[in-house]
Amino acid sequence: MNETIEKRSMGLKASRTLSNTIIYIILIVMSVIWLFPFICIVLQSFRIESTWNVNYVVPKQWGWDNYKALWTSDFKTWYLNTFIIALIVAVIQTVIVLCMSYTLSRFRFKLRNGLMRFMLILGMFPGMLTMIILYRVLKDLGMTQSNAVPGLILVYIASSGMGYYVSKGFFDTIPKSLDEAARVDGATRAQVLNKIILPLAKPIVIYTILTAFMGPWGDFVFARYVSFGTSSGMNVAVGMWNWLTPDMINQRYTMFCAGGVIVAIPVAILFMCLQKYYVEGVTGGAVKG
Amino acid sequence: MKKVLAMILALVMIFALAACGQQAASAPAASNDAPASSGGSDAPAASSDKPLAGTYDITVWCPDAEVELRKAMIDEFNKTNEDGIVFNATVQNVGEGDAATQMITDVEAGADLYNFASDQFARLVQANALAKLGTKAAEVVKEGNSAAAVDAVTIGGEMYAYPLTDNGFFMYYDKSVISEDAVGSMDKIIEACEAAQKYLAFDVGNGWYLSAYFFGAGCVSKWSTDADGHWNVNDDFNSDKGLIAMKGLNKIQASPFHLSSSSAAEFDKGAAVVVTGLWDAGTAKEILGDNLGAAPLPSFTVDGTDYALKPFMGYKFIGVKTQTDAVKAAALHKLAQYLTSEEAQLKRFEAVTWAPVNLNAAASDAVKANPVIAADMLQQQNCTAQGQVNDGWWTLAAALGATAKETDDVDTYKAALQTYVDGLEKLKSLREGLLFVGAWNGWNNADEADTYILTGDGDVKSLTFEVPQSDYMGGRIVNIGSWENGMGAAQVKTGADLIQAPDPDSNPDNNIVFLAPGTYTVSIDTASGEISIVAG
Repeated sequence: MNETIEKRSMGLKASRTLSNTIIYIILIVMSVIWLFPFICIVLQSFRIESTWNVNYVVPKQWGWDNYKALWTSDFKTWYLNTFIIALIVAVIQTVIVLCMSYTLSRFRFKLRNGLMRFMLILGMFPGMLTMIILYRVLKDLGMTQSNAVPGLILVYIASSGMGYYVSKGFFDTIPKSLDEAARVDGATRAQVLNKIILPLAKPIVIYTILTAFMGPWGDFVFARYVSFGTSSGMNVAVGMWNWLTPDMINQRYTMFCAGGVIVAIPVAILFMCLQKYYVEGVTGGAVKG
Repeated sequence: MKKVLAMILALVMIFALAACGQQAASAPAASNDAPASSGGSDAPAASSDKPLAGTYDITVWCPDAEVELRKAMIDEFNKTNEDGIVFNATVQNVGEGDAATQMITDVEAGADLYNFASDQFARLVQANALAKLGTKAAEVVKEGNSAAAVDAVTIGGEMYAYPLTDNGFFMYYDKSVISEDAVGSMDKIIEACEAAQKYLAFDVGNGWYLSAYFFGAGCVSKWSTDADGHWNVNDDFNSDKGLIAMKGLNKIQASPFHLSSSSAAEFDKGAAVVVTGLWDAGTAKEILGDNLGAAPLPSFTVDGTDYALKPFMGYKFIGVKTQTDAVKAAALHKLAQYLTSEEAQLKRFEAVTWAPVNLNAAASDAVKANPVIAADMLQQQNCTAQGQVNDGWWTLAAALGATAKETDDVDTYKAALQTYVDGLEKLKSLREGLLFVGAWNGWNNADEADTYILTGDGDVKSLTFEVPQSDYMGGRIVNIGSWENGMGAAQVKTGADLIQAPDPDSNPDNNIVFLAPGTYTVSIDTASGEISIVAG
């Protein structure tokens, strides 16, 4: 009797080892494929023997020259611009989205459904359609070119109220009885949101911050229009794009890689710190209560 | 709750006020067109002998490589000019290739003085983004530059820009692989490359580069635009000469050591020859060192005959944006002249190795002694001036290179060249011609599928078409792609009884509004501008 059990468990163990090995091989191959471009960029950014694109990956001479060169170029301004925009947008947009979601999830008022439907339809129009008009409006407000940073902040946060779907879905899953209990104990609506809902909805708050930060961080199209050829108003994507002309690229290729690495750092840190909430956040809103 | 609401409202109000404030504050700075802005009023000694004296805030666009030099040159100009002009310049990095796209997006916000490549010239003039040169300035440019360069800045008899440097390509090679006597012949170069297992980089997948084969074989493709921006093309690629070029293109691409690239970085990846322009001189020199050779493009051999490759040669210009302040405009023109003068071009040659186009500067010994520039200058003697090539042409030409790579079958070549010519006709018909737009085709003025094109040889163009019954049976004649209203009801001389009388109040667009549905023949005499309408 004991022997048979042992035999079976041996078989199970063996097959588990086998399947694990296969899975790990697949995973390793996939991660190599995914990571390879990034590793290439990192390695190229430390290559100092030449500044153009070459057909080998590992540098012959290592050094910080490209990063130092970035520091003396306009990259500093672009980076700072991008960071300021992304930070402010992340804060304001998160506040707006959470307030909006809370309102639509907990309050019942006239036109609530109408408003939601209206925003759904409004959201179906591609934002790019409004680009030219927005540019004109911003220009009249004096928020283009060297004043592009406030202009872009305005553009990014202007419609943020419409991105409430995921977090409203999540709020709907939090039992309403919790609110009622708090209200009975004398909490105001704002206290309910701050003390009850938000702590319970931490993943969705993190998710909202992340998406709000990522949008402006990587934007190119709007940023290019609004900064319009003025270096002091550009973000990193637009500024570095100017290095990609045929007559520049051979002098700037390795610097471009170094810039890419620096751009990736804050996003990578953010994701690493907030990773455990992120998955919960993405899936959390999917279950509607 | 009320407190929160009140706060939000207060914020909204502050924001609205802030927005207004910014608008007011930025308005004078942003617009250059305030009459006699900073320029005139700031000038204390604006006496009659120095009418241009004053301080001007300007924006300047030039490519990254030139930014520092440009700043230094403007400082130098501020110190040395005798008119008392002081420019407070913001120099921005906007490449020549990108200048027109940026400029046309918003001319008002664009730079006052900017570099651009010659292929954008017509577009910029049409967008009213280039100020005409005065008589004196035009004379200076005419004296200092070759006829080809002057021709390139002239549209409809007026000059609009200052030639800065040339914009062409030639051949860089590795002296240790390609011997002096092989340099002149494409066949020998290919042989030498194959023997040494080295690559030959010539971007014949790109119309700009591959057209050297066609021009070398004796073909012509000349686009021109008249003062109104109408396109015209004289092109004979679809000929026996064109077939020669196709065979040449096939020969080079058949070699396993051919690369379709135009980057000097290829030298670092095992290339012995790279066809590219002056902008890559620094990179090429850094990689090859003393082994760097430069020469005009070689000859290619087809059926025993040699044809020297004849590349496109364009220019880079400095342009002054149209200004409403005449004083500022004049001062800017002074600066542009200074920046393209003989001395400035020599300085630029020393600092960033840009080839001078000023005849005296180009003839100087220092310039001639530079082997790369020397090759560029030699190439200029055998080149095709790049006219106002239509944007769509590049794709058509690139397709020829792709066909030549795929096959060596002459019939396929003929078919490809026929496709090319058809493409040209299409491009032209979409840019050139008169349309009758109106209710009957949804006011479609550009899409070829549903356009009413007026046809005919000579001056008179006509069109017979059906006007369907509808609430508004109106329309007018326009040039393709435009919405002008100069060819409408007011110009109808014959058949005015068939349409509503022109009335600027109720019909501001000067539309021809038919009184009844039916078939009509509309014809226009393009010489006199008279329109006649016949029923049936």
